Amino acid sequence: MGTGAIVARPQPPRLSRVVNRVVGGLAMPLGSVVFAFVVGALIVAATGENPFSAYAALACGGLGIGCTQGENPALQISNAIVFAIPLITTGVAVALPFRAGLFNIGAEGQLLAGSIACTAIGIEFRTLPEIVLLPMVLVGGAVAGSLWAGVAGVLKATVGAHEVVTTIMMNYIAQWFLRYLIIGGPLQLAAGTSRSSPIGPGAQLATLLPASNSLIIFGLPASVYRVHVGLFLALAAAAAFAFLLWRTTLGYEIRAVGQSQKAARYAGVSVRRTIIVTMLIAGAFSGLAGAIQIAGVDHNLTDKFFSDTTGFDAIAVALLGLGSAVGIVLAALLFGALHAGGSVMQQDAGISGNLVLVLQALILFSIAANFVGAIRQQIPWFRRPMAPPPAAPVAALMTEAGAPDTGSTGI
Amino acid sequence: MGQTRLRLFGLVAAVLMIGMACGGTNTSGSSSPGKTYKIGLVTDIGGLNDMSFNHLADVGLEQAKTKLHIQGDVVESKTGDDYIPNLTNFASKGYDLVIGVGFLMGPAVGTVSGQFPNVHFAIIDSAGTDANGNDLMHTNVVSLLFKEQDAGAMVGVIAGMLEKEGKNKKNQGVISAVGGVSIPPVNHYIAGYKWAATMEDPGIKVQVGYSNDFTDPSKCKSVAQSQISAGSDVVFQVAGGCGLGALQAAGQAGVSSIGVDADQKTADPSVIASALKKVDVATFTAIQDVVNNQFQSGVLTFDIANGGAGYALDNVTLPADVQAELDKVQGEIKSGALTPPDTIPA
Repeated sequence: MGTGAIVARPQPPRLSRVVNRVVGGLAMPLGSVVFAFVVGALIVAATGENPFSAYAALACGGLGIGCTQGENPALQISNAIVFAIPLITTGVAVALPFRAGLFNIGAEGQLLAGSIACTAIGIEFRTLPEIVLLPMVLVGGAVAGSLWAGVAGVLKATVGAHEVVTTIMMNYIAQWFLRYLIIGGPLQLAAGTSRSSPIGPGAQLATLLPASNSLIIFGLPASVYRVHVGLFLALAAAAAFAFLLWRTTLGYEIRAVGQSQKAARYAGVSVRRTIIVTMLIAGAFSGLAGAIQIAGVDHNLTDKFFSDTTGFDAIAVALLGLGSAVGIVLAALLFGALHAGGSVMQQDAGISGNLVLVLQALILFSIAANFVGAIRQQIPWFRRPMAPPPAAPVAALMTEAGAPDTGSTGI
Repeated sequence: MGQTRLRLFGLVAAVLMIGMACGGTNTSGSSSPGKTYKIGLVTDIGGLNDMSFNHLADVGLEQAKTKLHIQGDVVESKTGDDYIPNLTNFASKGYDLVIGVGFLMGPAVGTVSGQFPNVHFAIIDSAGTDANGNDLMHTNVVSLLFKEQDAGAMVGVIAGMLEKEGKNKKNQGVISAVGGVSIPPVNHYIAGYKWAATMEDPGIKVQVGYSNDFTDPSKCKSVAQSQISAGSDVVFQVAGGCGLGALQAAGQAGVSSIGVDADQKTADPSVIASALKKVDVATFTAIQDVVNNQFQSGVLTFDIANGGAGYALDNVTLPADVQAELDKVQGEIKSGALTPPDTIPA
């Protein structure tokens, strides 16, 4: 992807250098994924199943490639993208505070706050036309998520309450508040249900293909392809994140606070203000993710949110994506593909869909343990052309504190 | 030179991917001569090891595999987001019958059955509904419903009689039920339980609590513990996998418990009986109807009279008079002389 832009420059750098840079950037996440798949294969083999058929089915279900048992590739790709959309936006919501040295474990609660606000507004003003109502529910969701995260930001900045603890607690509050709302509370559809009534038609995000049962596309009714306009909103959110971080003063301040609060304060940056603003923005991303999910897919609050894990998967997505916008989008697509592929793997290869959770955990484990960095240190061919040492622990990598002397592992 | 090669590589990769993506599109709809019926089963988030209705639906499918020689495939839903993709996947592959398990899948079955009018759907505990919970009455959907109150009444007789006769630990005239979410299939059970216990022992107090959860045992455990500390001698769990925690709480406190849906004798030593909802029978019946070309949309109801509901005695030896009363009540429900209510009596 990056090679195209570099090729167009008047003085193209040596290809070997470009390749090295790309390889250097991708080595850690790709290595972690490869590690996870190899260990996953060993686990499958140890249980007496065939890892090749497992991964073939996973590829079919996640990427629509090589389907042998009648799966529709277009449908599988569509499902994978639908799963990836909320991961992109919440991934950004985890990565941004990470740059400021904050661990936002509360993306799930912020997502729930966003989906609650989206649903409440979408029901209350259900008769309004789309041009008014759709922006209302999306902005409402973002604001709700922003306020939810802002609580943790203010507590951190004023009394120093650790954001890990406060955001986790806020997750529980959001989840139980949601339970109350749809079981016995004001949003409950009817007695004996655990769902809300649907949002008005004007609050719903359109699908890319017409939602028609009679129009046949790729051999199936068009309505089965659920990819919605929220995809573009999520990509825009990722782009906004990159712009904010690298092209604005605030982004500079966020990175400065993440590297060293003392240095940032010395340079005239208000650390408190930066922490609060960072959490507010991160919460807005998460809240938007929740609003998009309601407006684009679910159209009402259901009990599925009791066991929703999007905001936690987002932590893995942000880590795997090394906190960069492009990386997060790619990691979210991978996780979406794994999610969609898990079901097909169970159907076609008879291997429990739980293997997907094992793979996700292994990826995260590998990143945290930084196997790839340790291995690279042992291989001189790999090490020589690299300008910044890639062996820094990932948390440091993402906060840019990974200057050469802090890369403590494996050196 | 190197750049050209890189570009070429990218181009080839892209062409390959498009080719692969398009290659598999026209595989559905082919019919083989000696027809093997294909049945797909989608569990709800409880999963196959819930010792409850997902497990029983799978038992019914396995029976159908042996007896009816069908091809049966199962997929577990990990989250509520999986319902529609999992149902759609089976339907798009031209399965003859797609079975959704559980009340929570109603709207998903409603959506997907509308997209695939030529595929048969069966849904346990619900119907193919719209977002407002109204039955869409699709002609390719059959609802498999149960009179859970029949099974609830049988275990209610046991709990009520034992408490009345002072066979329990505390004997404060209190028994209880732990529901998952307050939805019709849960409340049917509790209605029959309370009705029958009150019939046997008019002075009995029946506590009813909800965990608002079907999967997390710790949530049901805490509901059960508060009921036990308020004097309950028998805890009836009606909460799927979550309710296993209620059974454990009863075991730890030394009081009795009652399992639900499947025979949960092995779940905990405190289980004295289980209220049975024979989802396996219902699943098998639905598959058999499709194989015999007798599929009918609408509702199939399973109760004590047709063997679709009942009870199992577990880690207990009942006094003779309790057993006699059980047999009498069962006979009267079968004959229609007694009708357990489907809403929880006051």
